[in-house]
Amino acid sequence: MEPFDHDELSDSDLDQLLRQWNAPAPPAHLRTNLFPRSTLPWWRKIWTISVPLPVACGLAMVFFLAAWFWIRPSAPEPAHVVVKTVQVPVIQERVVTKVVTKYVYRSVPAEPAASGFNVGGLRPVAELRPRIIRSGDAKD
Amino acid sequence: MRIETAFDQYHRAVFDFAYRLTRSTDVAEDVTQECFLALMRAPDRFDPARGTLKTYLFSIARNLVLKHYRDTRAEEVDLDQVSSAADPTAALEISSAVGDAVAQLPHLQQEALILFEYEGFALEEIAQVLETEVGTVKSRLHRARASLKRRLAPFRNVGGIHGAV
Repeated sequence: MEPFDHDELSDSDLDQLLRQWNAPAPPAHLRTNLFPRSTLPWWRKIWTISVPLPVACGLAMVFFLAAWFWIRPSAPEPAHVVVKTVQVPVIQERVVTKVVTKYVYRSVPAEPAASGFNVGGLRPVAELRPRIIRSGDAKD
Repeated sequence: MRIETAFDQYHRAVFDFAYRLTRSTDVAEDVTQECFLALMRAPDRFDPARGTLKTYLFSIARNLVLKHYRDTRAEEVDLDQVSSAADPTAALEISSAVGDAVAQLPHLQQEALILFEYEGFALEEIAQVLETEVGTVKSRLHRARASLKRRLAPFRNVGGIHGAV
């Protein structure tokens, strides 16, 4: 049967026919092929994951690291004492040592009497008349 | 947009487009995978100023299908398959009959028809994917539909439209 034996389809008929052509769904493993989900623990992942790096980028990183180690400010070194003997002109002054004795006369103030008794106003007596008093006489 | 998000959004359409052009699930799978791998390898090649991500992905898919055609051109010539589309008795299913009829169209018409009828592309988007003018797309669509109207006319009363197979 040749197609030209029939009339042409109308637009609506063609649209209906076209809608009947079904395509299969994409396979489920398509996603896992592109985005695999690893079940490895992180400590094993770090030994298996690789990062593709262009050679130029790798060389640039090595260069910058080397430059950084070269240029970086070094840690302060311990103080290094250098002893040098230099001759310095000094104007020497002559120092003369002389002993000077100075006498200072000062009046010595009288020492205050103990317990308020002052003997400064006592005078020697003109006549001494001793008087004996018996301590055991009850009448006197 | 993340590549995984783009994959979730467009991989079905890309696979559908590749399948309808090649009629092979294996090839469609490879094309879809290569399409998103190309996006993953060089995401900077996508320029939003030149079109949407959807049209960009379909452009990649189209180029991959063309490459597949070039690589397997000798194997693709199957005269038995070509002649079977015109015979409604040989087409047990309307679906495969329509697929056969579309497969007989010139490749440029196939692309335009599939993008318009099955992927829901606007004429401007098709023109972007096919890297041609909108007028050319209209012309290809018109010729494709006219050709299909003749080729599928025997199926008018066989099934789908007025009855079951």
